[in-house]
Amino acid sequence: MSKPAHAPLVEVRDVEKIYPGGTKVAAVRGVSFSVARGEFTALAGPSGSGKSTLLNVIGTLDRPTKGEVLFEGAPVSRLGADQLADFRLRALGFVFQAYNLVPVLTAVENVEYPLVLQGAGYAERRREALEALRRVGLDKEADRLPDRLSGGQQQRVAVARAIVHRPALVLADEPTANLDSKTGAALLELMEELNREAGVTFLFSSHDPAVLSRARRVVRLADGALAGEETRDA
Amino acid sequence: MLRLAWRNVWRNRRRSLINAASMAFGLAAIMFGQSLMRSLQSQLVEKSTGSITGQIQIQDPRVEQMKMPDRFIKDPAPIAAAVARDPRVLAGAGRITLTSLISTPQTSVGVLVVAVDPAVQERITDMSRYVSSGRYLSGGKDLYLGDKLARRLDLRLGEKAVIMAQAADGSLGADVFRLVGTFHTASESFDNSIAYVPLPAFQALLGRPGQINNYVLKLKDLDQVDAVRDSLESALKGRPVRVLTWKDIDHEILGVEQFQDAILDVVLVVVFAIVALGILNTQLMSLFERVREFGVLMSIGARPRWILRLILTESALLGAVGVAAGTAVGAALIWHFGRAGLPLPVGQAFSYFLPFPSVIYLRPSWGAHAFACAAVFAIALLSALPPALRAARLKPAEALRHV
Repeated sequence: MSKPAHAPLVEVRDVEKIYPGGTKVAAVRGVSFSVARGEFTALAGPSGSGKSTLLNVIGTLDRPTKGEVLFEGAPVSRLGADQLADFRLRALGFVFQAYNLVPVLTAVENVEYPLVLQGAGYAERRREALEALRRVGLDKEADRLPDRLSGGQQQRVAVARAIVHRPALVLADEPTANLDSKTGAALLELMEELNREAGVTFLFSSHDPAVLSRARRVVRLADGALAGEETRDA
Repeated sequence: MLRLAWRNVWRNRRRSLINAASMAFGLAAIMFGQSLMRSLQSQLVEKSTGSITGQIQIQDPRVEQMKMPDRFIKDPAPIAAAVARDPRVLAGAGRITLTSLISTPQTSVGVLVVAVDPAVQERITDMSRYVSSGRYLSGGKDLYLGDKLARRLDLRLGEKAVIMAQAADGSLGADVFRLVGTFHTASESFDNSIAYVPLPAFQALLGRPGQINNYVLKLKDLDQVDAVRDSLESALKGRPVRVLTWKDIDHEILGVEQFQDAILDVVLVVVFAIVALGILNTQLMSLFERVREFGVLMSIGARPRWILRLILTESALLGAVGVAAGTAVGAALIWHFGRAGLPLPVGQAFSYFLPFPSVIYLRPSWGAHAFACAAVFAIALLSALPPALRAARLKPAEALRHV
């Protein structure tokens, strides 16, 4: 994939996603917007507005029925399964609402997994994973299994896993939805800090006004379509 | 991947233990069955060859009934020389086996006379071990009979009987032999119809001094029969003899072996099917439980092939545990019953035809066991393939939505 000069990090072009079935439902309808490198952007909208579907399409976890997603100017939506996996491994990090850590791996082993898939040696990946855990304040819990961590700690581990391989973009689907307000706020602070200090680009979804208030840019969805956009000063 | 696979195997400890145990007991049962059949067959062959057939026989090529050679070898010296040169041979001797008539003042009975060199024959067959009264042959005109035959003839130790057989010139040869001992093998046909006499006396009776009708060998290793047969055939090339192994002569035992092998094969297929279904079930349950997790792994960059390899590796590890445990249990069973013996009523089933004990001493059959281990391991892998392929074909977004 060649990189056109000054291309946005992500460009969503007229994306539509229709789920097949008896009654075809258009989860996303003709959405276009872009995300520049270094942004801290939220996808806002009520439940069922298409936020998760759009994040899945941007994250190449799902293919758009129509339209295209470009990453650094290159189309990625139609790549083959292996190419998509390689692309996600290289360029993306994911944080899920339900943490989704591998339950049989310790915190540090979960964090180093993207590096395992990249083929990094043990010493290198362990060093990088511990550094990522230190960044999220959990280096002391490195050897704990997920079920020995609180929800907030598990989500921090998930954030560490999402950034350990230094991806260009971290996609977070309702990252604070399963956390209490205090823990959720702490997680958002952490994400902001990573964005500000390490330059990690975040695109996250939420319907919580408190969470959305932390985003510097909010892209609003309603019934699968773009419903507006707000930008705040940093 | 190995670490993740290993921990995945044990994440549902009880299920994996049950699965590994079913593989282990399946394999142990297979090994036990293989060993039992092979041991039974080996004992059968050893008893048959050790009682009368011998492991290799050299006969005139025109003999029609290999068990009752009706043609004589006039000069066995070249055979003896060729046999003596082969270091794989434990012992070899010429003998005559011939249907004859044995008479006492009370009655006459048709018997199979086996005329042997008593000293050498002891190393080839086991008949000297079955003495039930008196002693084994030593020479002269000794007569050694089955105890039932002695009773039929109403013949007691020290008493005389006349053996009659067709001599070389067509006349009826006859001579008097003295009963020096009786044997009891528990085999109806042996104890009731076989008479042992020293070879020189019987050769004289037949008017065939120095002649034999079969030359019998015992080898140091029974598995060498085919190789020794080939060597002797080439050493005796051009001479009017043929070399036969017990397999050529004892068709019945070969038939029994083939029948047992066929039964064992059916049992193996059933056990393999049970093992395969167990693993398939485990892997499918594990797959359904972990669909979301596969979605996570795919989202962080795992290729479909990687997911496939992960599941196959888990199965391989579970298979290795099952095979290791099964090998240990199977080997322990074989070792135990190899020492203590396994009492089975098979002796009665075979004893009409030949002496056979009712205790089977198990011995390992490593080639067959290795095949069973490899087959169980391969089945563990193959039965994981359908769920592994299914997992590899999951779409990440759908997998992540899976509850």
